[in-house]
Amino acid sequence: MSSPYVAPLAAVSRHRGIIGAMVVDAQDDIIVDATVRHGIKASTVAALGASIYRKARQSAGAAGLGDTAFLRMEAEHGHIFAAGRGGLVLIALAESSVNVGIVRLEMIRAAEGLA
Amino acid sequence: MIVTVAEQWVEAPLRRFVDDARVLFALLIHPSGQVLGQFGFTRSLDVMAACALAAAINASGSALGKEMDSAPFGELHHGGALRQVFLARVEAPRGDLVLLSAFDRTTSLGLVRIYFEELRTALAAVAPAQESNPALAGNFEQELNRSLAALFGRAIPHEVPTG
Repeated sequence: MSSPYVAPLAAVSRHRGIIGAMVVDAQDDIIVDATVRHGIKASTVAALGASIYRKARQSAGAAGLGDTAFLRMEAEHGHIFAAGRGGLVLIALAESSVNVGIVRLEMIRAAEGLA
Repeated sequence: MIVTVAEQWVEAPLRRFVDDARVLFALLIHPSGQVLGQFGFTRSLDVMAACALAAAINASGSALGKEMDSAPFGELHHGGALRQVFLARVEAPRGDLVLLSAFDRTTSLGLVRIYFEELRTALAAVAPAQESNPALAGNFEQELNRSLAALFGRAIPHEVPTG
């Protein structure tokens, strides 16, 4: 039986530079489904990534800025992206060379399919 | 943050776990129920009850795991309306330990599990190689009371041999 999240994960993962994508429960920070390159600590990335996304949403809400559609964290050697919908968060990991604009668009579109 | 311990080697790893995972309560015990360290409890009676219940849950989970999966279950999570409980075994060189922790929406199960893995690694690294106290010694009750007294700052005198 295939997961209902295969399509959004595939939509994000197919882009060059993406090294992992996962759907995470936004309340428990536990992976629901994922496709991640070998060697990445997926559950750690998922828990911390979803937690940061949740806090970013709270922060934006407290600032009166409304909902957080997309979050990008830039690290020395790559990016972590997050976009949420309902009780789920879509998290993607990418190399520095990735096209951020395309991934942002794809993440927002794929996140809409999570609900 | 007040972490109290009956054995000094568990203090730093337990303190870090509590600090990182943002749990409300944490209790590190022997599978027999003897307490090694705690955070969040204010009364020794609460610790005694929690130790006994955690030991019983761990024993039940282990037995059920062996029955169903040929191996003891390693982790147990119980989600409540406001608070959740996470109970897991820690394999240490001197024998298994059990961590019981309770948390609310300040943190999450995913985060607690991550920092539990770090706690497990840290405890394995600092655990003394030799068992200093047997899991269930003949003077278990006295040892338990001494542990609780150490945790809550009450002195219990050592038994003086008679005769």
